[in-house]
Amino acid sequence: MTTTVQPVPHQENRKKREKYYVTTLKRLFSNKLAIAGLVIVVLQVLMAIFAPLITPYDPVAQNLMKSELPVFSEGHWLGTDNYGRDVWSRIVYGARISLVVGVVAVSLGLIGGVTLGLLGGYYRKLDSPIMRIVDLLFSFPGILLAMLIIAILGTSLINVAIAISIWSIPTCARIVRGSVLSVKEKEYIMAMRSMGASDLRIMVKHILPNITAPIIVFATMRMATAILSTAALSFLGLGAQPPTPEWGAMISQGQDFMWSAPHLTIVPGIAIMLTVFAFNVLGDGLRDALDPNMNID
Amino acid sequence: MKAMEQSPPPSESKVLLELNGVRKYFPIKGGVLKRVQGNVKAVESISLKVFEGESLGVVGESGCGKSTLGRTILGLEELTDGKIIFNDQEIQDLKKKEKKKFVKEMQMIFQDPYASLNPRQRVGHALDEVFRMHTKLPADERRMAVVDLLKEVGLKEESYDRYPHEFSGGQRQRIGIARAIALNPQFIICDEAVSALDVSVQAQVLKLLKTLQRKYNLSYLFISHDLGVVQYFCDRVLVMYLGNAVEMGTVKDIFKHPLHPYTQALLSAIPRPSVHGRKERIRLTGDMPNPADPPSGCPFHTRCPIAQDVCVTDKPAWVEHRENHFAACHFA
Repeated sequence: MTTTVQPVPHQENRKKREKYYVTTLKRLFSNKLAIAGLVIVVLQVLMAIFAPLITPYDPVAQNLMKSELPVFSEGHWLGTDNYGRDVWSRIVYGARISLVVGVVAVSLGLIGGVTLGLLGGYYRKLDSPIMRIVDLLFSFPGILLAMLIIAILGTSLINVAIAISIWSIPTCARIVRGSVLSVKEKEYIMAMRSMGASDLRIMVKHILPNITAPIIVFATMRMATAILSTAALSFLGLGAQPPTPEWGAMISQGQDFMWSAPHLTIVPGIAIMLTVFAFNVLGDGLRDALDPNMNID
Repeated sequence: MKAMEQSPPPSESKVLLELNGVRKYFPIKGGVLKRVQGNVKAVESISLKVFEGESLGVVGESGCGKSTLGRTILGLEELTDGKIIFNDQEIQDLKKKEKKKFVKEMQMIFQDPYASLNPRQRVGHALDEVFRMHTKLPADERRMAVVDLLKEVGLKEESYDRYPHEFSGGQRQRIGIARAIALNPQFIICDEAVSALDVSVQAQVLKLLKTLQRKYNLSYLFISHDLGVVQYFCDRVLVMYLGNAVEMGTVKDIFKHPLHPYTQALLSAIPRPSVHGRKERIRLTGDMPNPADPPSGCPFHTRCPIAQDVCVTDKPAWVEHRENHFAACHFA
């Protein structure tokens, strides 16, 4: 036959279909804290993207004539540090580093965690071994594990991302495994098996799309932890090395000037706090909006 | 309800599926070492034949193993013992790859139309996936096939791009039926296929199933707890109790002349409007025994109104009392 049936778009259907996403967004936007979180996150992303356009100085350019200027100084509204570097520029470029490290760490963690969780939840035989490995990872305190990994790999921001991702894997794997266990028993999975669908197809096409909500929430909350951990590791000298404008490293360097120039520790501290707060409340809002008990049927 | 046109007597048709002493035990594991401590005997030595183009009803109370029987035939549960012969070929030991051929021939319609469709998958894509897995058709031909299927089960072409939650229960069950007949199977297991539907919708869906049966010469294994529906829909009936077959025969024989006391009790529980007042109802006392620890002898003796000493000690044989009318009772 030569005739082909073209897909028929139906305005009315599309509206209905979009209703689920619209109601989810509405829920999210009815939560004032979540909006605040979202605004801060968006601002930060914009800041990171347009960093060169909104900063008047090179974040690593020294100007010893103008060192330790306080906040609201002329030309340096957040002041300068002991080398005369503009704090605002460093904060903006620091946002870039935090977000990139956060995204990389969370993505790697998700890849590992979702894979392990899917396998463990789906195959009964793999469940025990995988979960015991996960328990093993869990038994280390997070920072200690990260330090261990960095001690092996060496200090650099990429290694910080890897360390944080490895430390995210067990939590993610547990969340995914739990969700898989509940979805796996649904009749539509049984139906796919009776159709002769391969395990991979069932896992990727039928289980994964039905457990996106907890994964999204996990990823958002984990961004906050990842950014905080990056700062913590850099503060300890295990992450970003000077003169990289990383927030944790900035606090660490500012310590020596606590009394003469307190803004060197306070400003990056506030930046970290705001970011972590923003991702946390956004994650909370998303969790409420994506409530799995919500009736999507 | 008047029984629909009955198929030709079984003996004239070809045997499509034969079960030979099929058993399904679920091991109970316990203790520190996870040793097998016992078995839940969900299906206990069932033998039956399903002929081409007929509907075999399977009835019994919940927990009697009828759903497990269906799943075991389909290979969704591993068989413990026995033989499954489909189209003259034993299929119980086939490897996954060889089994794929039979997957096309045997399909299943599920009980809950709300749970048997992936909520995140468009209906068209769900049906398309079946063709994607089992045929090498190009995309445009697959789409045409899906649209044909939708029309076949009485749905509009527009349904293609919709999600399951936009449909009613009856419509969803039609989608489930479309998925089951997509590959032109010979045999379909309907696991309580209409139990979740309203009575008016039930009738429509049953009618659709009948139409498809005539058109494609399908055989159904119709698992149900609703005797009225079975009487209306099926040609023959298998009555199960505690994983055991207790009686099997044509609808007419079973409903007019039940031999086994359990069947008699089941039938007396159907509410029937009558001008002569209600017939005496046979009430069974007690619960169904634990299938992990079934009673000795006849599995029904603990609740049977006519049980004697022999029932406690000897398991009754599966005897053909009349032509095509089997029962397992010492006093049938």
